[in-house]
Amino acid sequence: MSDFDHSAIDELLQSRVRLAIVAFLASAGQADFSLLRDAIKTTDGNASVHLRKLEDAGYVAMEKRFANRKPQTTYALTERGRKALLDYVAHLESLLPPAKANKGRSK
Amino acid sequence: MNEDAARDDIAFIRRTMEQGRRVVGAWSPDVLVWGIAIAIGYFGTYARVRGYWTVDPARLWLACIVLPWAYTLRRLPARLVARGPDAPAERQLASPLAIQWFACGIFLTILGLATIFSGDRDPWWINPAVAGVMGIGFFVSSFLSNVVWLRWVGIAWWVGEVALFALRQRPEGFLLAGALMLVLLAVPGFVLMRGRRECA
Repeated sequence: MSDFDHSAIDELLQSRVRLAIVAFLASAGQADFSLLRDAIKTTDGNASVHLRKLEDAGYVAMEKRFANRKPQTTYALTERGRKALLDYVAHLESLLPPAKANKGRSK
Repeated sequence: MNEDAARDDIAFIRRTMEQGRRVVGAWSPDVLVWGIAIAIGYFGTYARVRGYWTVDPARLWLACIVLPWAYTLRRLPARLVARGPDAPAERQLASPLAIQWFACGIFLTILGLATIFSGDRDPWWINPAVAGVMGIGFFVSSFLSNVVWLRWVGIAWWVGEVALFALRQRPEGFLLAGALMLVLLAVPGFVLMRGRRECA
């Protein structure tokens, strides 16, 4: 484990809420704010703060539109965000012994 | 970060991604049921035209339209009750996909019923029209769900539409339309459903 580069860990994804947002969007495609908030089981304020950070980093893209005259904010993962998640998972797997990492990936 | 924390994080990512995938697969059982039902309709029509079966096409198609609708709408009362802030996020997120397919279903049902009751003896044009709508449905679904391979299913439907135009006014058109329903509707539904079960 001594050769692991700690500086390479994406600090942005070390927050569980931000990690959950990115992981959820990676598989769901897109989600509006309230659905994302419910999916990651957090509050409006908390979700808003973390989404803003991810948006500032270019990991998620936000789109505002109106549905039935109500404003709706939709989020989607960007290519940069997808790459960051993959890199983060690769870093996590590099922390595991090779056999365990492969076992985890095959599940 | 130690080994246990890394393993914990990987498990957390996997659980969260599984939740997202369940959203995408929420409509898959309906797709499977519709694919099989409409394929039966087409194969039955082909058998009738060829003289292999004496079934009344109008009754066959009514059954092939009404039964899948009954299956699709079976959860409607529960869904209406569950709307609101407490509805599960997955169900809410699946709505754009469900609404899109619901709209396609309404259009195709009207088209199908109009054809049945018009008494048109050779409505060859309906097969390519259905294939075109299916192409739109899958192509749009791929962008709503972020499942890339679904757009290839949509494109395959459009290729099928061209082939159905080529087979117009020939009984083999029904055979091809039935095969398309199985391969490009029931099979994708089955694949999505399997993915959903693996995630559950």
